Amino acid sequence: MSDRIPAAIIEDLHVSYRAYEDPKRNLRGFTMKRHEGLRQTRVHAVRGVSLTIYEGETLGIIGANGSGKSTLMVAMTGLMPIDSGSLRVRSRPRLLSVNAALRPAVSGRRNIIIGGLALGIALAEVTERMDEIIDFVNIGEAIDRPMRTYSSGQRSRLGFAIATMSPPDILLVDEALVVGDEEFKARSQEKIDEIVKGAGAVVIISHSLPDIRENTDRAIWMHHGEIAAEGDPNEVVDAYVAMVHEDREERARRDHENGSAPE
Amino acid sequence: MLIDDHSEADLVTLGHVPAMRDYLADLWGRREFAVVVPFNDVRVQNMNTKLGPLWHVINPIMQIAVYWIIFGVVLDVSRGMDNYLGFLIVGVLLFTLSSRVLLDSVRAMERDEGLIRSVQFPRALLPISAVIEQTMAFVPAAGVLLVALLLTGEVPDVSWLAFPFILFIQFLINIGLGLVGARAGFAVRDLSQIISHVIRMLFYFSGVIFEVSRYVEDPALLKFFALNPFYDILVVARWSLVNGELLVWPVLGFFAYATILPAVGMRFFVKAEHRYGG
Repeated sequence: MSDRIPAAIIEDLHVSYRAYEDPKRNLRGFTMKRHEGLRQTRVHAVRGVSLTIYEGETLGIIGANGSGKSTLMVAMTGLMPIDSGSLRVRSRPRLLSVNAALRPAVSGRRNIIIGGLALGIALAEVTERMDEIIDFVNIGEAIDRPMRTYSSGQRSRLGFAIATMSPPDILLVDEALVVGDEEFKARSQEKIDEIVKGAGAVVIISHSLPDIRENTDRAIWMHHGEIAAEGDPNEVVDAYVAMVHEDREERARRDHENGSAPE
Repeated sequence: MLIDDHSEADLVTLGHVPAMRDYLADLWGRREFAVVVPFNDVRVQNMNTKLGPLWHVINPIMQIAVYWIIFGVVLDVSRGMDNYLGFLIVGVLLFTLSSRVLLDSVRAMERDEGLIRSVQFPRALLPISAVIEQTMAFVPAAGVLLVALLLTGEVPDVSWLAFPFILFIQFLINIGLGLVGARAGFAVRDLSQIISHVIRMLFYFSGVIFEVSRYVEDPALLKFFALNPFYDILVVARWSLVNGELLVWPVLGFFAYATILPAVGMRFFVKAEHRYGG
């Protein structure tokens, strides 16, 4: 273990965000002013997570909806204030969310230039790699049409290609990415492998458990904002599946008891 | 667990407002964006029109013509000034430059939402690029400005040499306006509606079409006018090009805004760095 170089060290991280509750309108609801009805609450989404991510590894994160996975991801980009704990990284991790058109009015080709320059890549290099990138995106003539005309599949292909133009030290991939067809999934997996080989670290959130088993070196299971298990992907996934299964049985048993109770 | 001390030492801490020094270094690393992207935007701006790029020259000429007909001929607000047309030309064109910066920057963050959501970069790159775009689009107008001044009979003198420097100072003020405008416009979307009315007000309070010092005699009130950066810009530019009077307070205001606005604007803008695009 001693030869592994950390790409990110997270220590006792707490993250919360503000949310507004909109309570059920009752009679009083008609008499009070709008903002009085909105109660502000803090959602304590990440509760004391400590985690080290190493160079050259793929880390999978699993957990139920609302377990704090996505908040942890966004906090790791450094774009969200943290409550306490510390978050140290080799360089600012890049979060892939490729659902948006960069500049809808201009062509895909032009968007590659704009995106590349925004990432800090030199124009000469972007121009030089243009053919290779267009080849990777593989959407034919559409590359010269305005991006607003793209299908969501075409958009995410282009978005993925642009966001990975310069290999980041740490790449965060949210599940939303995996919308392409099988062929493109394979291509993007190749790209991710490339980043890992280049000593980068990749963190993947996925609800697809087979994906986590196959494509990650290590996994963590988030539960109520904490890490419930960490280690070999197969073991972590098994533990998670067992818990979900148990939960379901428990609920079924309770429902059954309630159902058969005398009235 | 053993961790190599050296490798751990060069990790950076996240989760706080970025340090200004790092932020500016990050911006500097993207300077090519701030030149290439605005240049292309200016180039393709009028592509779908018959006259294309010629509009960058025709527009300022027509603008001057319209203002001259209304205020110089019909309303005659010149009050016997030596070269009212020259006075008007400098006022109209330089005011338009800074007002376009304001107008553009309040919409900048909304317009490039897609880019913000897709790629990570220091967001201040967007308002700065918007200012650079307006500055590039102004280059043909500046040519029109100088030629038109010669046609009005203005004779170039030594003070003309100060004009490029004055434009540079105006550029700094514009950067500040752009940064403040971008965050304000992002926080309050309605601002994009209000801003055109604000600019119309500024138009009259900046003495674009009349010389403020001829109408306002109370010196205390004149100081109050100097609080308006648009007015300060016009006073200094008119001194350089059309022998306008060099007033103390507007000159002070001109340099004060150029130093304070970009610094304050940058701080103001970066405070909301993690919210843009959301």
